[in-house]
Amino acid sequence: MATGLSAIFMANRPALLRFLRARGAGDDAEDLLQDMWMKLEAKDLGPVSDPLPYLYRMANNLMLDRYRSATRRERREQDWAEGAGGVMADPTEDIAVDDRMVLNEQLNEARAVLRDLGPRVELVFRRFRIEGVGQRVIADELGVSLTTVEKDLQKAYRAMLTLKQKMDTE
Amino acid sequence: MINEEALGWVIQTRDPEFSDWEGFTAWLEADPAHASAYDALMLADSELDSFVPSEPVALPIAANDPGVRSRRPLHWIGGGAVAAALVAAVSLGVANRSDIYSVTTRPGEIRTIALDDGTKVELNGDTTMRFDRKDARFAALDAGEAAFTVRHDEANPFRVTVGDAVFEDAGTVFNIVRTKAATRIGVSEGKVIYNPQAEAIALPAGRALADDAQGLRVMDIAPAAVASWRQGQLVYSNAPVTQVAEDAARSLGLTVQFTPQVQAIRFTGTLQLDRDPARFFAQAAPLMGLSAVRQGDAWLLKEGNGPQN
Repeated sequence: MATGLSAIFMANRPALLRFLRARGAGDDAEDLLQDMWMKLEAKDLGPVSDPLPYLYRMANNLMLDRYRSATRRERREQDWAEGAGGVMADPTEDIAVDDRMVLNEQLNEARAVLRDLGPRVELVFRRFRIEGVGQRVIADELGVSLTTVEKDLQKAYRAMLTLKQKMDTE
Repeated sequence: MINEEALGWVIQTRDPEFSDWEGFTAWLEADPAHASAYDALMLADSELDSFVPSEPVALPIAANDPGVRSRRPLHWIGGGAVAAALVAAVSLGVANRSDIYSVTTRPGEIRTIALDDGTKVELNGDTTMRFDRKDARFAALDAGEAAFTVRHDEANPFRVTVGDAVFEDAGTVFNIVRTKAATRIGVSEGKVIYNPQAEAIALPAGRALADDAQGLRVMDIAPAAVASWRQGQLVYSNAPVTQVAEDAARSLGLTVQFTPQVQAIRFTGTLQLDRDPARFFAQAAPLMGLSAVRQGDAWLLKEGNGPQN
């Protein structure tokens, strides 16, 4: 591990612990921090340009993974209870034609929703969400203020998440 | 219901430059419910991958383009609403005026229109355009394809209306295609501004813009490939075969159909246009890795090389 990173980790341990607790880790916060430490020790990361945000992001990702696997487990158990799919669906299996049609329909609907927001909002959203470009860079590229990009993103996200909720309940 | 504050943090923490983790910690500590709202939205966000198609979006870098950039902030005031209102106003004005005339070419026919200001518009086959006798700087492409060689006048730019979009020249040779499903423009000389009152995307020579079911995209194009139909050629780089078929249909006055399997195929290369459809397809179909079969008045493109019946 880069010695710089380990020093930063030790110096900011209390802040990272506080973050993990606030993120809902509860009593596991110490263990998670230990996991982080092991991961950092295990791989040679080379120099990290912005070490503290990097460590925070790592902690945040750990929490997201935890939440994701818990949710997946819950959904599976629910599917079992409802008897939906007596045989566990293998995610690597080919998607059935019906499902693919539904997926295509959803894709088209999502495109339509995105398009209705107007080309600038669509461009901003794609650039940010799909290509992972930061808001400040997008604002520079388009010659608009950061606030405009932020508002565009919120608008696009709101529309896409609302559409997703609607699809999930259908 | 979407928790707006949590959504704000989802967007911020997804930003590669985000650094206010202490502020985020403080927000999380303010209410234990914040963490679960954030988690739920982050999960929903990650699941968006399955239905937001990841097509490449390339934007012109404004820094290369100081002239346009300085004008941009003005254009942005009011944003899309103003642009929409302007387009509406233009359309209304067009509809109410009597000096608008329409030009239509038959499939396979090419026609050149010289406007009073010295601008030349070449209409490819199966194309409908409108012009204004009182305003030589106006043109509308309603369907089909046309190449524009524009005499530039900074004070009075030439504008082409294509559906809701406006292309404004900045000293230019460019080509526009409009089909039911898509609008595409390629620029071979000078520069065109797409929707100057809204997005104001600058397209210099060698850039192309497509607006279709996949959204709005900017990409590179070889200047020689722009409006190559005028030289009896069709030049493509990674274009869907369906687009090639549409272009061939317009230039040769044919109906082209294709089997569903063919629709996903893409083509890179140059096709020679030929008045004789049989000769054209004998040359073109193998280049696309396809075979062409005559079916009454139409030609069917299907998979596989060589003659098949």
